[in-house]
Amino acid sequence: MRIRSVIVAAVFIGAAQASPALAQPQSATATMTVSVSTSAKLTISSSTLTFADANPDLVPQIAPAQGALSITAKARATDNAQVVLTVQADDDLRSGLQVIPASAITWTASGTGFASGTLSKTAPVTLGQWIGSGSRTGSQTLAFRNLWTYATGTYTCVLLYTLSGP
Amino acid sequence: MSKAVWTAAAALAVFTIAVPAIAQSTATATVNVTVNVSARATLDLHGTNSVTFADADPDTTPSIAAPALTIDVKSRTSAASNVTLTVVSNQDLTSGSDVIGIANLTWTSTGTGFAAGTMNKTTAQTVGSWTGSGTRSGTVTLKLANSWAYNAGAYTATLTYTLTAP
Repeated sequence: MRIRSVIVAAVFIGAAQASPALAQPQSATATMTVSVSTSAKLTISSSTLTFADANPDLVPQIAPAQGALSITAKARATDNAQVVLTVQADDDLRSGLQVIPASAITWTASGTGFASGTLSKTAPVTLGQWIGSGSRTGSQTLAFRNLWTYATGTYTCVLLYTLSGP
Repeated sequence: MSKAVWTAAAALAVFTIAVPAIAQSTATATVNVTVNVSARATLDLHGTNSVTFADADPDTTPSIAAPALTIDVKSRTSAASNVTLTVVSNQDLTSGSDVIGIANLTWTSTGTGFAAGTMNKTTAQTVGSWTGSGTRSGTVTLKLANSWAYNAGAYTATLTYTLTAP
């Protein structure tokens, strides 16, 4: 009886001493690669603009019914690259055979980097320009020059806005 | 026998995160423009709405001229439409029971499209005619044939000018 007790105790003592040894500190490296491509996104508050008829003596410059356009230009570009927003008319304002030059439409602009201008059907006109990536918001207030010399009609054209972020 | 328990560190790992690349670095948007030009017309007789002929010796002043009347005609119409300015008197020149035939009142004019004529109390007479939209300005000088046959009196008539721009 006595010898058995001693043996059991010895087993327990031995077990307590053999606690799991902590591993030596290990290190590893992880290499992360993030690919960011150039991209551009353009948002305009209205897809239509309507200029109502008015007396040229009283309203020499007609504002559109929709008011000023709110424009948001988002671009990811290479460092120090130029980001440019332009606008161009697809044609003069036309009503059947009658024509009003696209240059009858002008605009003023607000917001950093945005610029005023006169519409053209032959070349894009700069509406805004910035350096590098970012999100820019501004407004464009268009106006139609109202003259007595226009023939009656419903004139239309399409404005093409292009945001380029190389 | 102690039994060591080793804990192995994580093995070497490589992480790659690619931000989904938006395909384009150019963004576009279109805005449809509509301009409504309706028919309208305005007639402006500058300075005065009354014409007075002073008395004069018929021998020395066979034709009495009134101060020239400046007329502005503004109209917007369909292309190739006729724009016409006419005048008609409501009556002969009348002073009580005395009458001077309205045909004794004539006029000369200046300005493109303006024409001379003789007053009439039944049929409107053309003062000016043009084609299409625009602004036109000219002068009309009324003249009264002076005669010893007229009875003394203050003769009056009302002239109505009408601008038509279909």
